[in-house]
Amino acid sequence: MSESTMMSQVRRTFSLLNQRACSSSCSRSSSSFFTDSDSAGLVLQSHSTDVYQNLALEDWIDANVDLQGRGVLLLWRNRPAVVIGRHQNPWTECNLPAMRRAGIPLARRRSGGGTVFHDLGNLNLTFFASKKAYDRQRNLKVVTDALRRLRPGLDVQATDRFDILLNGRYKISGTASRLSRKSSYHHCTLLHSADRSTLSSVLRPSCPGIQSNATPSVPSPVANLLDHAPSLQWEELLGALVQQYNTEFDLHSALTVIDPTNESMFPGVGEMEVELRSWDWTFGKTPKFTMETQLELTNEQPPACCSARLQMEVKNGRIESCHLDIPVDWLPVRLSGELSSVLIGERFCPHRAAAAFSALMRSESGATHTRLHRLCDAILTVMG
Amino acid sequence: MAMRAALRCLSANFSPRLPQLSQVSATRLQWRSGSPRTLSTSSVLSAALKFTDKHEWVQVEGGVGIVGISNYAQEALGDVVYCGLPEVGQKLEQMDEFGALESVKAASELYSPLTGEVTEVNTELAENPGLVNKDCYAKGWIIKMTIEKPEELDGLMDQAAYDKFVKSLE
Repeated sequence: MSESTMMSQVRRTFSLLNQRACSSSCSRSSSSFFTDSDSAGLVLQSHSTDVYQNLALEDWIDANVDLQGRGVLLLWRNRPAVVIGRHQNPWTECNLPAMRRAGIPLARRRSGGGTVFHDLGNLNLTFFASKKAYDRQRNLKVVTDALRRLRPGLDVQATDRFDILLNGRYKISGTASRLSRKSSYHHCTLLHSADRSTLSSVLRPSCPGIQSNATPSVPSPVANLLDHAPSLQWEELLGALVQQYNTEFDLHSALTVIDPTNESMFPGVGEMEVELRSWDWTFGKTPKFTMETQLELTNEQPPACCSARLQMEVKNGRIESCHLDIPVDWLPVRLSGELSSVLIGERFCPHRAAAAFSALMRSESGATHTRLHRLCDAILTVMG
Repeated sequence: MAMRAALRCLSANFSPRLPQLSQVSATRLQWRSGSPRTLSTSSVLSAALKFTDKHEWVQVEGGVGIVGISNYAQEALGDVVYCGLPEVGQKLEQMDEFGALESVKAASELYSPLTGEVTEVNTELAENPGLVNKDCYAKGWIIKMTIEKPEELDGLMDQAAYDKFVKSLE
């Protein structure tokens, strides 16, 4: 594509995307876009590999682009990240300590479904459409048709749970979606060459003994496309998907690269990103849960061991109640009561709990201090 | 059958000469919550239900609006596996998002049919979200709310208008 064609493409995309965002202040009438023969669809690729920026871009498009009579396909990928569904519990879905050690962020999306691992070897496709035109099987057909065209030998099938299976067994794609008043989006992952060992190490529960009604993930054996089609290049895959999307929806859209941090193109997108990054969204939106677990405590000097029982209720990610049942010869009732009470109202988070404990521990010394220390460590461990 | 029994029961409650209107409506309400299946097919008994074009219904009872989703909506959703509900005390404008229902990996936003404050949420749905499918007009109600702008009710569809609207979608 020549530079001038590219620029006009970007300009056209810009005006298409902004027609609803600035409908109140812009003099340009939106009807001109509908009569534009090219405006029935758009194929976009995000320049960013930041999970929060890309999720914010999705929200922005869903909220601001007029999708009546128009479809948009967005292609994006992220640096390593774990993404949970809207109504999920991160402490039961992923290994938060392992993610902290590896510097892998956690994000909560607004769509339903289960937990997924993203990295640069995983392609995400978001199909935006009016609520009326929402059709997940048709979108998945774009993916399976593109794959079959690329490598006729690949056995790929979409299931009635909207996964795509390779050889009838290995999941290469998972789906989630969100339906709003008039608009909808359906996004799916597509494993090309993701790091499967990291994937399986982070998609394990952090905390024992959690009871909740949150939506659980359904673990599946996964495969990378590259393992079954070793010569399949990333660009080749992208190209085939764009072409197939155009074929399926009778469009002629070229791929346009966009930058989701561009506030002049996407006014307000930064604020959406800030919300998605916040603790109150990622952890605070967790459905109410209870934790009930046994703590095994040992002490070297003098040698002793005992087991304690910890019970917590967590609402909006914060500890609403806490009961600690511990033998009085290990810790005086006064202290176990104080320990529970410093946790109330605190985030269910080992860093916050550690800070709350430290003040309490400073006021104790000698053997009691050591035992209190052991107990606090045990509590922090079960908090993920 | 249930309808006929209900009617018998109704006439038995009436004094033959002086039917008391208040008694009639009270009896109707009792049946409404007791026999939801009858309700969805009877235009007489469901007259108090008002619908939005987003397929939420609202029913006014003692000055409070009870809100749920329509049979059409629950069928379109499929099996609901989680109900994301608001907090009691949350203030809503008409058409504000107030929660989401999750079914087969899809999160569907819920929109408030009226302006008001959430006074109660259906806590049964936490354990049993499938009530939204099984009994969408009774046990599957979602929230109760105050009615700050009663005139908003006039802008909503009655059962007949909603039935027509749903037909136009098919």
